[in-house]
Amino acid sequence: MLVHSRKGKWTAWAVFFVLFLPLFALPLLVILAASFATSWPGVLPAGATTAHYAAATRGEALQALVTSLVTAVTASLLALIAGTWAALAGAALGRRRRAVLDALFMLPVAVPPVVVGLAVLVAFSQPPFLLNGTRWIVIVAHTVLVTAFAHQSVSAALERLDPACEQVAASLGARPAYVLWRVKLPLLLPSLGAAAGLCFALSMGELSATVMLYPPDWTPLTVLIYAATDRGALFAGSALAVVLMTTTLLVLLAVSRVRTKASYR
Amino acid sequence: MGSVTAEKAANTWGTGTSGAGAARPRPAAPRPRPLARLWALPPVAALGLVFLYPLALVVRQSFQPDTGGTSLTPYTDMFASTAFHQALWTTVWLACAATAGCLVLGFVLALVIAFVPFPGARAVARFVDVFLSFPSFLITLALLFVYGSVGMANGLWTDLTGAAQGPFRFLTTPWGVLLAEITYFTPFVMRPLLAAFSQLDTGQLEVAAGLGARPARIVRQIVLPEARPALAAGGSLVLVMCLNEFGIVLFTGAKGVTTLPMLVYGKAILESDYPGACVVAVVNILISVGLYGLYRVVSRRARA
Amino acid sequence: MGIRFDSVTVAYDGNVVLDALDLRVEPGEVMALLGPSGSGKTTALRAVAGFVRPASGRVFLGDRDVTDLPPHRRGIGMVVQSYALFPHMRVQDNVAFGLKARRVAKAEIGPRVAEALEMTGMAGYARRYPRELSGGQQQRVAIARALAIRPDVLLLDEPLSALDARLRSGMLAELARLHRELPEVSILYVTHDQVEALTLADRIAVMDQARLKDCGTPQELYRTPRTEFTASFVGNANLLPVTVGDGGVSFAGGMLKVDTGGAAPGARATLCVRPHLVGLGSGPNQLTGTVAEIQWRGSTHRLYVDVDGHRIMADLRELKEPPVHGRPVTLHFAPEDATLLTAGVSGDG
Repeated sequence: MLVHSRKGKWTAWAVFFVLFLPLFALPLLVILAASFATSWPGVLPAGATTAHYAAATRGEALQALVTSLVTAVTASLLALIAGTWAALAGAALGRRRRAVLDALFMLPVAVPPVVVGLAVLVAFSQPPFLLNGTRWIVIVAHTVLVTAFAHQSVSAALERLDPACEQVAASLGARPAYVLWRVKLPLLLPSLGAAAGLCFALSMGELSATVMLYPPDWTPLTVLIYAATDRGALFAGSALAVVLMTTTLLVLLAVSRVRTKASYR
Repeated sequence: MGSVTAEKAANTWGTGTSGAGAARPRPAAPRPRPLARLWALPPVAALGLVFLYPLALVVRQSFQPDTGGTSLTPYTDMFASTAFHQALWTTVWLACAATAGCLVLGFVLALVIAFVPFPGARAVARFVDVFLSFPSFLITLALLFVYGSVGMANGLWTDLTGAAQGPFRFLTTPWGVLLAEITYFTPFVMRPLLAAFSQLDTGQLEVAAGLGARPARIVRQIVLPEARPALAAGGSLVLVMCLNEFGIVLFTGAKGVTTLPMLVYGKAILESDYPGACVVAVVNILISVGLYGLYRVVSRRARA
Repeated sequence: MGIRFDSVTVAYDGNVVLDALDLRVEPGEVMALLGPSGSGKTTALRAVAGFVRPASGRVFLGDRDVTDLPPHRRGIGMVVQSYALFPHMRVQDNVAFGLKARRVAKAEIGPRVAEALEMTGMAGYARRYPRELSGGQQQRVAIARALAIRPDVLLLDEPLSALDARLRSGMLAELARLHRELPEVSILYVTHDQVEALTLADRIAVMDQARLKDCGTPQELYRTPRTEFTASFVGNANLLPVTVGDGGVSFAGGMLKVDTGGAAPGARATLCVRPHLVGLGSGPNQLTGTVAEIQWRGSTHRLYVDVDGHRIMADLRELKEPPVHGRPVTLHFAPEDATLLTAGVSGDG
């Protein structure tokens, strides 16, 4: 379309792959390779082993994976409820108030996650809300960090809904709650699924706030990966990272399956 | 899967796509509902409790030095320290450089995917989506194997030259962080750009080529003006995210690279200097939120 | 049940989009609201449905003042341009929606859904999803859904504009049949298409720029329009700027015999003559000019004739020897076929 000569095309593609492969493909391949290795003496890793995976799928690591999953699922659900509620309530407000609500709910995206962690730590280490040392402080922080995404996702979907659907439903005698439950929410379902997947992925990968907050008995996988690399166990850390990525991808895949089934248009 | 992250890009970052899914005319004047404001209260109250109230406490604590009382001492102390100056400078220049790098790289890559398509270009676009759903620190972890003191690049060097040590030592310097940030955040620029490019009528390119314009001129005069809103929106978001980035810096394990988020972590967790951490946090919030507000304005204008 | 607009005014952000509408739809009547976009016709319909709130004035359904009632308590059926079928429900669930929402007894829902689908000819599609239907079929489901709740009032908002021309004329006949089967339902039909309005409506309310311009039966509006706007919007019209004289009007230097209906001599007015009532050759009211253009339209010829700088249209039965472009011709029309418009005359024809 842009380049028509054969030579020009090949040049463009060469530039593309020279930039793309080392920058984006290589890192993932390297982590994958390292997770099966014990040392990296030269160009290629050495000492093939599956021991890291054996360690990464039991004991402390398995516990951390479960911790991450529980945290991500809980935080995503809470974020989805809060975000959807805010988006629905916002749609019924006037333009001014709506802008304020939207800005409030987008604010957590702009605030550095580390600062969110610090703030939650400061606030919930003192009365009247003593959550420090419990798993809830981690879940609260994650919820704060991902709610903005749920809210924006649902808001955008609400804007795309055909207002005529709602109006026809009302004219047929459905009261607002009935319209919400039988028409609006079902139509939003695909977007809710997408938002859930997004929140889940973000929460699974969250490290910045978590590292400020986590109690010893609620160590998510990301913290474990950091701990491993920090003490120099890079290869074990890689295996943990692969477990984290795979789990995230599998869940996202499942969510998108459900979404395809639930999408009507 | 790809669509999950595509949604992320489209809804959250992809505000640069002009006219995508043009908004329907708003239903004119809904009937006034007195209950609407009440319904907005619970989520706002929840947000207030878990986010605004903690932020307020951070601001309050930044005025309460450990010695007691309320004063500006934490601020004057912090502003006088060289560590803070260094962190502020490092954060700002790293973020600006990374954003510039992401914009250039993202533009070139998106340009090829969109306008010089090759078999598998869609798969590559998918892959970029997948990239967005991974945590940032994985990039640093990978770079440790590629450019680390024992890693691919240095291994290759020692194999070839027989030297005892390779020449690649930049990973623990700001350059390593810069490389990791450019790698991780470039997809955030590519997504809105690809969306904007898909809106571009390729007929324009063909007509321009038919009129005798070379590719460079077409890119400059047709593609670039079309991409500018997406670049502005994507770029300002990446700038904010770079200012806030923590995982990448933490994983390099470099003592020499301290950014504002690292300083917050260090003051709070390692030194237990909460007022100091809160001061840095307030500064960081002001910079980021200010820029984010700018991003919202820019992207809203891009959408209009 | 009838509909009554009592001086209904609607304004958005200070813009008046419906200006003091007074209109009455009798029980069982089909009233078309006809007008260009932005004329306020859809706003009037939405005021009945309850989606816009009048700034002043009242809306009545029968004897009941519904102005302050929320939409779901008004009991009206509504069909919109986009159909707005619920994409996640099968056809039968779409049709049953209103019944379930109104808590109609379960045993009654099935038969009533079947009846509504039967009536619209969609009985065989009950288990389909909307996306599996053609535009015309979706349209029928939308109508069935509105009829299932047995409304007293049916609101149709440009229901045919998303269909192609062929389907549209079929659906027009279909709607006419439905109305014959349900003679007690009042229908408010919003359209910008004069053919739909003329075909279907018992009466037409012509709207322009937020105001009601004219209201009457299709025949009245066509034969004796009261305003220039009605004359040009309902059917084609030659609108000649004239000056009222004694027992006729003066136009282009000559006198034309028409019923002046008591208009003051010397007043400026507009004479409306329908193109198909203009004949070729000499007659009672003669106009001579040159042929500017001639179009063959199968069964008719359309002649454009310039008479003293005014272009006049004539629709003539297919001519054996059509006049030649640029040649002088004489046209005529009968005095009783012309309508003199004295209200709302613009400065220049």
